[in-house]
Amino acid sequence: MSGLEVVQGGGSAPAVAADGLGKRYGAKWALRNCTLEIPVGAVTALVGPNGAGKTTLLQLAVGLTVPTAGEVRVLGLSPRHDAHALLPRVGFVAQEHPLYRGLSVAETLKVGKRINPGWDNDFALGRIEQLGLPLGLKVGKLSGGQQAQVALTLALAKRPELLLLDEPVASLDPLARREFLQTVLEATAETELTVILSSHIIADLERVCDHLIILSQAETQLVSPIDEVLASHRLLTGPRTDPATIARVNRVIRESHTERQTSLLVRADGHAYDSSWELHEVDLEEIVLAYLGHRRAGAATGATQRSSDRDVVRS
Amino acid sequence: MTWVAWRLQRTETLIALALLVLIGAVLLPTGIEMSHAFDRDHLSLCLGHRPSGACNNAIEGFLSRFNSLGDLLAWFTLLPGLLGVILAAPFLLELEQGTYRLAWTQSITRGRWIAAKLGLPLAVALLVAGAYILVGTWWREPFVRMNGRMDTATYDSEGIVALGYTLFAFGLALVVGVLWRKAVAAVTVAFVGYVVARVFVDTWLRDRLVTPLKLSWNPAAGQPAALDHARILSEGGKILLGGGRLIRQGGRSRSPVTPAAR
Amino acid sequence: MIEFHLDGRSGVPTYLQLVQQVRQAVRLGILHPGDQLPTVKDVVGSLTINANTVLKAYRELDRAGLVEARRGLGTFVASDARAQPADHLDELRSSLSGWIDRARAAGLDDEGLAALFADAIRPTAVARVA
Repeated sequence: MSGLEVVQGGGSAPAVAADGLGKRYGAKWALRNCTLEIPVGAVTALVGPNGAGKTTLLQLAVGLTVPTAGEVRVLGLSPRHDAHALLPRVGFVAQEHPLYRGLSVAETLKVGKRINPGWDNDFALGRIEQLGLPLGLKVGKLSGGQQAQVALTLALAKRPELLLLDEPVASLDPLARREFLQTVLEATAETELTVILSSHIIADLERVCDHLIILSQAETQLVSPIDEVLASHRLLTGPRTDPATIARVNRVIRESHTERQTSLLVRADGHAYDSSWELHEVDLEEIVLAYLGHRRAGAATGATQRSSDRDVVRS
Repeated sequence: MTWVAWRLQRTETLIALALLVLIGAVLLPTGIEMSHAFDRDHLSLCLGHRPSGACNNAIEGFLSRFNSLGDLLAWFTLLPGLLGVILAAPFLLELEQGTYRLAWTQSITRGRWIAAKLGLPLAVALLVAGAYILVGTWWREPFVRMNGRMDTATYDSEGIVALGYTLFAFGLALVVGVLWRKAVAAVTVAFVGYVVARVFVDTWLRDRLVTPLKLSWNPAAGQPAALDHARILSEGGKILLGGGRLIRQGGRSRSPVTPAAR
Repeated sequence: MIEFHLDGRSGVPTYLQLVQQVRQAVRLGILHPGDQLPTVKDVVGSLTINANTVLKAYRELDRAGLVEARRGLGTFVASDARAQPADHLDELRSSLSGWIDRARAAGLDDEGLAALFADAIRPTAVARVA
């Protein structure tokens, strides 16, 4: 598997464990060869461009769809076969936070109450009050940010152990985005809550998340704690080098050349580089973009670019 | 979940009930009037006998008064179709708006959800259709006693036939809506499809379901008893000298007493 | 009560910034022994950062003996945490002024001063490998 690292969460069962997981729609694979573990108690970011497979992975995890290949286990259970046992423990907010537009806020909460045995009505009402939303107002009349918050309240009020959010802040303005993330993070501070949130916006990730999964073109590119990502990736710059020499440098994620200079973004992992290279730290956004550009460049040149211990990037 | 399903189909249920009230408002007064007219003129006594002058006039009078109403109300046989597609709408809206993704990730299983989201509207549709059938059957009673049940409008609005239509329309709306995820458009297309299917069955398919019976008779002898409650596909024939008159052909069966020309 | 702030562009990890701000606050006497630090939830809510980051910072401070976590009550500044004695601060401040004067005399502008200083205190994790 390319660039994967499996992280165990303190010996307890992982929140999500995928094994060779794949999903195909017609001829096209939306997700394939996905093998990973997401630890309990962390906030994991699922990052990648649109169509990378983020929504597919989340939908497989919550049982909205079934795998074409492989399997996925959530909290040790099968999302489809053990739905009855699992659903009360998992909160899910789908893309565009679907809600019943014709219902009032109060009626929406009532829906949650009626079909969730573990519903905490005091919590739900408290949240709505904190948000300052009038209970009698029709959901269709709320702003995008308010609707997202209502959808989040619905998911949180059943007191789940795991919260899955599919692009929750994609269509929100910056203030609404911040408030939404605040709510999610406060919930993690209050209870033992695992969060997996998918996003194609990279900016907030470093502060909000402690674990990272990069998906691109239906495959996982990287699975790792964010601290480790930052500690293990470096930018090497040096005088223009010819490709043969680069072949000796392991785990190059991205390379670029100017007339005089070569830059390599590498996964360092304690390797020593000769003195012709200068090392720089790289921020998370750069690293993620490098991984995302990684596959595309490979596709364009026709060469495979899988970074594993032995493989090497050819330009 | 039951409350949830009810609340989400509230509008459509109200529409169905409104339609029923409308039907009732039209059928009840006129039905009572017809029933009185039938009894008052003792038309039941005229049935099945050789025509007499008084009976001829009475029936003639009754028909001229209420036949056009009967024609108009023949359109009501589209009601079951309307009920079926309208009550499929809540389910289709879930697909269109993606709210099924919300519903399926609460704590109930998909099966339970589908059972409630399909079962409840279908039950309402069938109940309202059933009420319509009862009222309609009562209303048509005089006609049925005169013309039999094989008349298209009668056949379509009595017994379990209308329930079948409701089911068909409901199912058709579901199929269209699943393929084309726009609820309003799907409901419209399904209703049009329903009408087309009905027209096809009524005007073409039915006539070919069974080999028709062919009869010839001397007009002077009067129509054979076998034709009493028959659906007549076509008529024609030679006019014998000194005989009766040509009977106009059409889908409506005629009174067995008077071979009246229109 | 201390209020945290984050500098997203400093390159310093978030948890370390929190640690530094607590240390600084104790040094400068803003936080006294026995004062309660903001709850994890409060910090998370006001900065929109991961709860584990805050926990990591508080654990680090606990390990350093600067704070102590009391189960169910919160995290409090340790009773033996000491503010930097005032005279040391004055002494440091004046020697710093001296250095600044010398650097300016050598031709460094404010930016050059800041860069030199940042380079000098930067953790040695990013060293050139010779």
